[in-house]
Amino acid sequence: MAQDGQGRKDHSRVKIGLVAALFALAFAGLWVRAGWVQLHLGDALLTQASRQSLAAEFEYGERGRIFDRNGEMLATSVQANSVYASPFEIADLDAAATAVAKALSLPRKDIRQKLASKKQFVWIKRQVSDREAAALTRADIPGIRLTTEYSRIYPNGHLAGQTLGLVDIDGHGLEGVERLYDARMQPGKAKFVVQRDAKGSRLYLDALGREVNINGLDVRLTLDTHIQHAAEQALANAIAQYKARAGIVLVVEVDSGDILAMANQPFFNPNAVKGSNPGQRRLRAVTDVYEPGSTLKPFLFAAALEEGAIETDTLINCENGRWRVANKTIRDTHPRGWLPAHQVLRYSSNIGCAKIGLDMGADIYANYLTKLGFGEKTDLGLSGESAGLVMPPAKWTSVDLAAISFGQGIGVTAVQLARAFLCLANEGVTRELNLVRTPAPNRPNAAVRVFSPETAATVLKMMRDVVHEDGTGRTARIPGITMAGKTGTAQKAAKGGYGDQYLSSFVAMVPADDPKLLVITMIDEPQTANYGSMVAAPVCREVTVRTLAYYGKVSETLESVVAERVSVDLLADSPLDQAMALPTEHPETDTVPNIQGLSVRRALELLARRGIVPVLKGQGMTVRDQKPRAGQPWPTEQQTEGTDDVFILWLS
Amino acid sequence: MSGTLNAKSTAGRPDPWLVTATLFLGGFGLIMVLSSSGIMAERVYGDTYFFFKRQLLYTGVGLVAMAVCMQMPRRLLYGMTYVWIMAALALLALCLTPVGFSVNGASRWIRLGPAHIQPLEFAKVALVLYLAYFFARKQELVRTFSVGFLPPFIVTGVLCVLLLLQPDFGGAVVLAGLLFFMCLVGGTRFSYLFLSLLFAAGAGWLLISSSPYRFKRWTAFLDPFASAQNEGYQLVQSLYAFGSGRIFGTGLGAGKQKLFFLPEAHNDFIMAVVGEELGFVGMSLFFIAIGFFLWRALRICIKLEDLQDRFTAFGVTCVLALGMLLNLAVVLGTVPPKGVAMPFISYGGSSLTASFICAGILLNLSRRVPS
Repeated sequence: MAQDGQGRKDHSRVKIGLVAALFALAFAGLWVRAGWVQLHLGDALLTQASRQSLAAEFEYGERGRIFDRNGEMLATSVQANSVYASPFEIADLDAAATAVAKALSLPRKDIRQKLASKKQFVWIKRQVSDREAAALTRADIPGIRLTTEYSRIYPNGHLAGQTLGLVDIDGHGLEGVERLYDARMQPGKAKFVVQRDAKGSRLYLDALGREVNINGLDVRLTLDTHIQHAAEQALANAIAQYKARAGIVLVVEVDSGDILAMANQPFFNPNAVKGSNPGQRRLRAVTDVYEPGSTLKPFLFAAALEEGAIETDTLINCENGRWRVANKTIRDTHPRGWLPAHQVLRYSSNIGCAKIGLDMGADIYANYLTKLGFGEKTDLGLSGESAGLVMPPAKWTSVDLAAISFGQGIGVTAVQLARAFLCLANEGVTRELNLVRTPAPNRPNAAVRVFSPETAATVLKMMRDVVHEDGTGRTARIPGITMAGKTGTAQKAAKGGYGDQYLSSFVAMVPADDPKLLVITMIDEPQTANYGSMVAAPVCREVTVRTLAYYGKVSETLESVVAERVSVDLLADSPLDQAMALPTEHPETDTVPNIQGLSVRRALELLARRGIVPVLKGQGMTVRDQKPRAGQPWPTEQQTEGTDDVFILWLS
Repeated sequence: MSGTLNAKSTAGRPDPWLVTATLFLGGFGLIMVLSSSGIMAERVYGDTYFFFKRQLLYTGVGLVAMAVCMQMPRRLLYGMTYVWIMAALALLALCLTPVGFSVNGASRWIRLGPAHIQPLEFAKVALVLYLAYFFARKQELVRTFSVGFLPPFIVTGVLCVLLLLQPDFGGAVVLAGLLFFMCLVGGTRFSYLFLSLLFAAGAGWLLISSSPYRFKRWTAFLDPFASAQNEGYQLVQSLYAFGSGRIFGTGLGAGKQKLFFLPEAHNDFIMAVVGEELGFVGMSLFFIAIGFFLWRALRICIKLEDLQDRFTAFGVTCVLALGMLLNLAVVLGTVPPKGVAMPFISYGGSSLTASFICAGILLNLSRRVPS
């Protein structure tokens, strides 16, 4: 047995050797295979591998969206097709040019010129219609390709148009919030793109292989669409009524400094940049510098009270409407004799203010104006913002000091004025204005006490009398609500002095004793009336009422009752329900119009007028189908609540 | 027979070169698991070292298992052959019960507390121990059909059926391969072997053509680029990885294919990451390393005097060699893809521990190599 075993052992040794040789052969074969794959096929595989992993040159993400404070969409992006050419791949230039020209309805000559380029890449037409894209796909011209881009749309049309700003065709923000937060909203670029599965779902990775979201980040503003809408509507009505050149309405929430509305007329629809002019695109609330006139007076009073230069009942001689300072004569619209200080503000006496200013002195008054932020940009950061115009006090003559005391001879922007009034409303402590909620503004807390709480309260009390006693602001009165207000009717500087054009303004703060809301209206060059009390105060009033109604602070019924009782001759011919309707070229109907065939942009604008942001299904630039159909009633508010597919548009 | 066992049990030194090679492969595996899984782990688990830490733990477990196997008295190892094989059968059967844990429709794992074990890896070792025992003890009967041929085939067959039920076609092929090599060396008649080879080939073909899923994978391997987005995806990505490596590779950690292109980059396709990051030079060095390891292992087999020692050593060598061969063949696109882990290198506790157990058994037996 041992012998037998011994014999077989040798046998198995040989066999093990055989198997070892077999293994060696197999491993050698695999080693050769590895060499073949890595060395011989390496280049080709490397090329293929990098082609699949490197993101294409035009792997664009979606630009970040802009929302209002409640999450209503103000700006978004939709996919669009763009046509480009790789000229070196085109063999037959003439045939290609003809085919492209036909598909895109462009002049053949221009196309041919582009195709003859020596570049690797030439845009033929950006953001083409789906019909054109389809025609091009059918034509299947070598070297001509389609790529997906995003184009910007603003669902609410001109609503807050200047604030939102605009982007160029490459998606770079040029103005407004689009420019201010361009870097944030810019879509990221993926270094690599992974085809996750056979279905072609894609995953974007950065250089370290981490998944990245190549869509830009969203921006959330402090604006409230409803209030912005109310402000724009009231402003548009006033401008139309008084044939004014331009106008601004600012609504600020006092407790936070949030700008709830920033309306600038003439309106600008960022969906239609081509047809717009620079005058429409101006964000007047930050760019335009005005001499504010009497609306600046409350600050003079606050400074004088704070300095002890006056008491509320200090008697001031208003000189019966004419008073000479140096060689200039100052006039009052409503001549008065001796008045206690608080009535000087109520009746807005220029002479009284000039005396207070002269009494206090240039340095002290200028110091207050500086602390309030005049002559300095706000930190909103919007492009084109003006710092206003405040001369150094050392250069002020007595005439200058007198003028600045009643709001002439100093240039301010609407936002500067708002910031200054915010200080008064905030018990004398400065507070910055906010336009953006997300990203949260990152700034040091630079709140400074300018006035004592008592001073601020006293001035507010004086401003309350402007509205609630026989002051200049009576037209802004709202029953049941106390309001602190101040009118302004500033003569606008013209060649060689002051001309016959005016800036009518009104500032309203409600409630008067502890303001929560600040509304500023400026109407530039009204033609049929001048006075702030007539032109601007009703706008402030309407905006305030509608804002308070929106917040549920006054009832909707009060709104119309108020309209009848207070609106004297000016508002009588524009009852509120009519004022509620937006200025529109399309008559409002009770049923849904036919939207099919319209461009997405146009359809969105149309629906935005009804406060509807439809759900978009499919891709494309034209509306193929709609729900509800034409002729059906509009979806009601109740239906809109909670569901987001009340109105659906199918695109193609 | 048992007399010879006792007489020759003089304790020598374990083969130091084999120890070195084993530790080298284990260490290299750790590095490659970190390199290939870091980014994926970061994304999925938020921890770059998620897989690395686990592999480190498994390596610790593996080293302990190796030490145990190295020191274990042979009598215990051999005496419990039937226990091992019954345990393997039971564990494989457990996979099919609710205790089993399935991924992508294949229930190849058993849940054991927080860990999942893959019984196949241990079944290989158990089968090899059984076959070695069988061929050594039944040497005089091996050439007969009923006693020498049927039992090992039936045992292997039952294991294979259990694997096919999981389904784990690759595992069944590996076990069949082990049986083939053990029979070849053990002395089964060539005619039986040839016939069974034909039979296996026929059965294999039937299995492949009967299942559309296997058939697709089969054809995908023949021309992976034709279905680069579907069945051929893994293989194409693997070849891209090797191709991108060229001569010197992209450098450790700098490979791109593991950025989610290559599924299971730290697992069955880890060699593709090696190929990409270390290039052909690195691959050649790796071939040398496993060549050296297998040479030391086979040298021990040939030098061992006792038949059961020799067959056992040969069997565990085959477990490792077949694993390495099949894995490389799959990632290089020369055989249809099957889920075969690269011993010592691929991520996975069961595979790693089983590999260390194999090394431990080899080292144990290497002490009996007459100097």
